[in-house]
Amino acid sequence: MTAPYRSLACWVLALAGMLLSAMSRADDAHVLRYAAPHEATAQPLEIYGALDNDLMAPLLADFHARYPDIELTYRNLTTLTLYRRFLAEDEASADVVMSSAMPWQYQLANRGHAQALTTSAARQWPQASRWRHELFGFTFEPVVIVYRRDALEGATPPDSHEALLRLLTHERQRLTGRVVTYDPWRSGAGYTYATEDAHMSPRYWELVAALGGVKAALADTTGEMLDGLADGRYAVGYNLLGSYARDFVADHPQLEMVIPSDYALVTQRLVLIPNRAPHPETAERFVDYLLSRQGQQVIRDKTPLGAVHTALEGEGTARDLRKTLGDALHPIAIDPSLLATLDTLKRHSLLERWQREYTRLSDNGP
Amino acid sequence: MSPTVNSPSLYRRLLIWLLVPMLALGTLMLVQAYFASRDTADRAFDRLLESASLSIAEQVKRQQGQLWMDLPPAALKMLASNAEERVFYALYDAHDNFISGNAELPPIDDGQGSMRFTNIQWHDMSLRLGVRHSQLEGWRDRQPFEVRVAHTREGREALTQTLFQGSMLRLIAMAMLAIGVVLLGVRMALMPLTQLRRAIRARDPRTLAPLDLTLPRELAELRETLNDLLARMRRVRANQERFIGDASHQLRTPLAGLSARAELALRQDDPRAWHDALGVMRGSADKTARLASQLLSLTRLNNPESMPEARDIDLCDIARQAVRDALSSCHRAGIDLGVETPPHAVIQLAVQWQLAEALANLIDNASRYGASRITVRVGEAPTRLEVEDDGPGIPEAQRLLVLRPFHRGMEGGQGSGLGLAIVDGIARAHAARLTLVPARPNAEPPGLRVRLHFPEESTS
Repeated sequence: MTAPYRSLACWVLALAGMLLSAMSRADDAHVLRYAAPHEATAQPLEIYGALDNDLMAPLLADFHARYPDIELTYRNLTTLTLYRRFLAEDEASADVVMSSAMPWQYQLANRGHAQALTTSAARQWPQASRWRHELFGFTFEPVVIVYRRDALEGATPPDSHEALLRLLTHERQRLTGRVVTYDPWRSGAGYTYATEDAHMSPRYWELVAALGGVKAALADTTGEMLDGLADGRYAVGYNLLGSYARDFVADHPQLEMVIPSDYALVTQRLVLIPNRAPHPETAERFVDYLLSRQGQQVIRDKTPLGAVHTALEGEGTARDLRKTLGDALHPIAIDPSLLATLDTLKRHSLLERWQREYTRLSDNGP
Repeated sequence: MSPTVNSPSLYRRLLIWLLVPMLALGTLMLVQAYFASRDTADRAFDRLLESASLSIAEQVKRQQGQLWMDLPPAALKMLASNAEERVFYALYDAHDNFISGNAELPPIDDGQGSMRFTNIQWHDMSLRLGVRHSQLEGWRDRQPFEVRVAHTREGREALTQTLFQGSMLRLIAMAMLAIGVVLLGVRMALMPLTQLRRAIRARDPRTLAPLDLTLPRELAELRETLNDLLARMRRVRANQERFIGDASHQLRTPLAGLSARAELALRQDDPRAWHDALGVMRGSADKTARLASQLLSLTRLNNPESMPEARDIDLCDIARQAVRDALSSCHRAGIDLGVETPPHAVIQLAVQWQLAEALANLIDNASRYGASRITVRVGEAPTRLEVEDDGPGIPEAQRLLVLRPFHRGMEGGQGSGLGLAIVDGIARAHAARLTLVPARPNAEPPGLRVRLHFPEESTS
């Protein structure tokens, strides 16, 4: 059960490391191999992904069962290693690159490093989940609030940002030290969510101030937050990755997961085929599979990632979420505004503001 | 081989001359429309670069001693249209140092104003680059900086295509309309020609009456020319009819004479009378034969279809031969016939038998009309043939009339009245000028000099 969190931790740490240029992490790549039965007819396919092996295994196994002649190698790298390796000219390129670090993937595609995929599945892919037929979002993961039922007895459950702000303001005493959220400095995901939140509403800064008011703990990964909530250290967790929280909450009855009803950010994992891909045919077959109904079905049934395919229904699918949340659903757009997230000056500005708001109440408070 | 096979019809010629330039013009307009569409698309999309760079520039400030900006995500979104262009931006300081951005974009050195645009090729992508020169708006600090934004051309190309297709459709519609109008116009313009053709075709082939048809000015000229031709043909036909009448009359008279003489002789029993009659009849028959041969030569001369071969011949030979031929008959009549030629040959492009015929006729004429001395002369510079006599001559008023067939200079003369007409025909066939002047203007009788001036150029 810890595998998903480790994967998340990997890329979150990688982002943080890259942004701060402080942390470095050994390339502890895990490799999955699926050999072809006949050596002679084997067509190689090399996938680099920032998704943990446990998450990828069902997908890869299903793909291998359909195309046994493709000799599959999956390398699990951190998003940072992935990005650097991609840009390193002398490194052999992968055939397929998958990552949850949306801005970085977008940056690569924007620079013209990705090739277009024009299979029928790719052409029918929803407009909001692709860019130029070069970049495809193949998962659909909402950002959620998780809280302990026992800790919030008598209070209104935080089912929206508005409610959370009220809760934090009214129950400031009770919740001090018992709220947890992403650390926007150290976590790339936390920073991305902060950017999007700030973009959604200026009242986000009131929420940051309120978080500062209760001296909210700052965590690096969703796993860390979920563990803290499970063992009772925290009562409320804000901005957790829903795909991981869903299964975890199902196993821990004292926890409750809510998708904010005013707006819910949704993050997507993006896949692209590099221009330099040595085996573009197998790469296209794999991405086409990923976007096909079959591949999406595996994502829905065997992973918590959330299927995007418009024809699929069921818990966690994009269609299901859209039906229940409607306009409140706010997928992070795959568009040039992602590039703004990567701007160093922008990052400094935002974090400075965050810091200012976060310490505002505690400085002036009692 | 009909002429219609070789030269295209007037209709087709007009169509070609109207449609080919129109097509060329249309192509030119299409090319122009493409460039105009591209210009328009560029202008429209340059506005995006302009506003994006402006909204970035507005966020640039000075912080902790250096340039600082809070990049608005909307500015980057603005750079991408539905065509999902790749977008690039960068902030540079006054010394061209890269401050922030997702790509190191080149500056634009030439150009005017605070906003400059250019097309660049960058990392295998063709980009439209916009560079905004701006400066900080502060109390103390007015540091200049540059915001450079760029995007790929997909949106521009799509708009260009849309605009161009619109122009193309309009142009095609206009071209179709123009072609239709041209077809109709040419048909209408050529209608009078068809009328003229029908009018000519519908005519009785024997009538030479002038065409009476209302036609546009250009064709009216043609109609007038045609009517002139018809008038000339009418005159020619009248001449021919008169000629035929005269000829038959001329032939009938001697033949009637012959018949009467033969009848008279038959009533007598005396063989001597028969002998006399036969002698007279032979003379009459000779005269008639000569008349017939003269008529024949005149017909040959007047026939425009016959084109006798002209050769370079020596006029002196001709003159001497003519004198030799006529010598015996003149000698019998007691006429002094002489020839004067230069010591060398005088070469002239001419038809030998015609000149011989002309000289024979002139000598014959002179001898018949009472000359006692005839001189045939060949002259040079200009090349000429002359026959001079000391006969009574022809009065001034008669000189043109004698050239007409069957006109006799002197009533009761022995000639057929064809001699000078034949000479005139021969002169015209050689483009030579025929003059009749008195040989000795002040003497009595004045005599006659008939001269054939050959044109200068034909001697060469």
